[in-house]
Amino acid sequence: MRSPAPSQEEIRRQNLGALLRFVHERGRISRAELTTELGLNRSTIGALTAELAEAGLVTEEAPRETGRAGRPSLTVRACSDSIFVYAASIEVDLVRVARVGLGGVILDRVSFPRPVDVVGALTSAVQSFTVDSADRRIGLGVAIVGVVRREDGMVRLGPHIGMRDEPLGDQLQERLPQLQISVANVADVCALSEHTRGVAIGCDNVIYLYGDVGVGAGIIAGGHRVTGHGGYGGEVGHMVVNPSGTRCECGSRGCWDTEIGEQTLLRLAESKPDTSGQEAILAVIDRAARGDHVAQAAVRHVGDWLGFGVANLVNIFNPELVIFGGTLRDVYLASAAQVRSRLNSMGLPATREHVRLRTPTLGDDAALLGAAELAFEPLLRDPLG
Amino acid sequence: MLEVRGINKSFGPVHVLRDVALTVRSGEVTALVGDNGAGKSTLVKCIGGIYPIDNGEILVDGKPVHIHSPRDAAGLGIEIVYQDLALCDNLDIVQNMFLGRERRRGIVLDEPSMEHLAEQTLASLSIRTVSSVRQAVASLSGGQRQTVAIAKAVLWNSRLVILDEPTAALGVAQTAQVLELVRRLADNGLAVVLISHNMNDVFAVSDRIAALYLGQMVAQVKTTEVTHAQVVELITSGKSGTIA
Repeated sequence: MRSPAPSQEEIRRQNLGALLRFVHERGRISRAELTTELGLNRSTIGALTAELAEAGLVTEEAPRETGRAGRPSLTVRACSDSIFVYAASIEVDLVRVARVGLGGVILDRVSFPRPVDVVGALTSAVQSFTVDSADRRIGLGVAIVGVVRREDGMVRLGPHIGMRDEPLGDQLQERLPQLQISVANVADVCALSEHTRGVAIGCDNVIYLYGDVGVGAGIIAGGHRVTGHGGYGGEVGHMVVNPSGTRCECGSRGCWDTEIGEQTLLRLAESKPDTSGQEAILAVIDRAARGDHVAQAAVRHVGDWLGFGVANLVNIFNPELVIFGGTLRDVYLASAAQVRSRLNSMGLPATREHVRLRTPTLGDDAALLGAAELAFEPLLRDPLG
Repeated sequence: MLEVRGINKSFGPVHVLRDVALTVRSGEVTALVGDNGAGKSTLVKCIGGIYPIDNGEILVDGKPVHIHSPRDAAGLGIEIVYQDLALCDNLDIVQNMFLGRERRRGIVLDEPSMEHLAEQTLASLSIRTVSSVRQAVASLSGGQRQTVAIAKAVLWNSRLVILDEPTAALGVAQTAQVLELVRRLADNGLAVVLISHNMNDVFAVSDRIAALYLGQMVAQVKTTEVTHAQVVELITSGKSGTIA
């Protein structure tokens, strides 16, 4: 059965959402530009903007000098100071918490070493931000290095942060009942933020590889995030690349993680046993750049296997952009010759000819901004709902 | 954007460039590779108007041009960032970026507009490592100097930026930043030529690789079509079994 044509009311809500999303993603923009970009007529844009302004979501102001003839068009800007979400990123060593205004502006932030009681620390960090009672808090988005169930934010597996079947979403909801909670994998939200306001703007087929202790992928195909049935998709670190490789923490053997993970690089480079994290990786790359043969061989090994996995992913998804984030940014830049060579010899000519390999532009903020996007989603879908 | 056809250049009896051809496109990074003495720097200096060419053609946007001096090159939108960067330590960032081409208002220098333009250029390149454009260049780190030198080249509505070994002598973190900057220039629509000995740098940012061997251009290939081993072979022997 065909669904009935949308009512006027539905169309209006959809347009409100589209307009607010546009202002949220692109920043300050004139009414005239909105008219062209959204393909709606001037009076509609005027009416929609007025409605959003009345709800306190956007403001209109006279533009700066344009230097052109004619009456200048008013510019529309998101009310970043009064409409905001909380965003958090739970990483292996660190927890970051921020208040992010509409338009993707980070208003306040704190970070601290990851404590045992993550829920408690996160709750008090959220409550520690001073806010005006008139401000509107939309929700809390959380990015985490783990496999997360979409429907309730249950962390099914987070081996590097000691979580297994941890009902993180429910626990946070209990402590912060007034906020809508959404939890997702860090690679997924980084892909989202780079797609919204980073290096992948305008690209509909993107793979974001996030490396810390292990590797995960955020995949955008046809403009949509691909997270699978339960929300667990993108666990590329457990793609088996070497059946005769070493055993992985997940129980399998020869996972991609075991060839390109942080521990492998540090072990091959004969780093001191108690070092870890980005600093340790940079130290290995630095040694390699200075001519240390052991470190060079380690970086080459990891780069070669990195290219091996990327080639497989490129053949499967045919992305236009592969982004190397987290610690993989440095690993990629230091071993690009190996990564490219592998990709060029294993990738099909048709799938590899247009693929661009890039590093993120949002840096360490990608996870926070992506988590914020998750939290903003209900508002953008239905601004006045 | 730029096309070089059949360039020859000799210094006395030494024939440095032999019928060199090179095509550089907007929005792409073309890596120029070759062993020491292969003629990379000479080629760049010919394009930049420092050395006159003996014969051959240089075309910009398909039209033949004559470049007799660096000023001619700059007029065509070609800027070169040399290895030694050519920055003045005792001047600040704005003064360096406008050195020799200062803006005037009447008989005095138009400092506010130069400062504004310098800030705008740095912002357009997402350069966040420099805290103030009035900082003296002497106080900057190696990576920051490189970024200032690159920003200086971009400031003049340039369309082709040639970078000679921009990551040599930089630390790991700074190398990464400069590579990202090089990539961003091309992604913003500029044509970029990158001279580098470091194969990782070449593969990390380039779209095409042009290999010089003993003054001859032996190959110009897409980066998506070659391997590290093939490029090394081109550099060291001038040919590779699988590349014509």
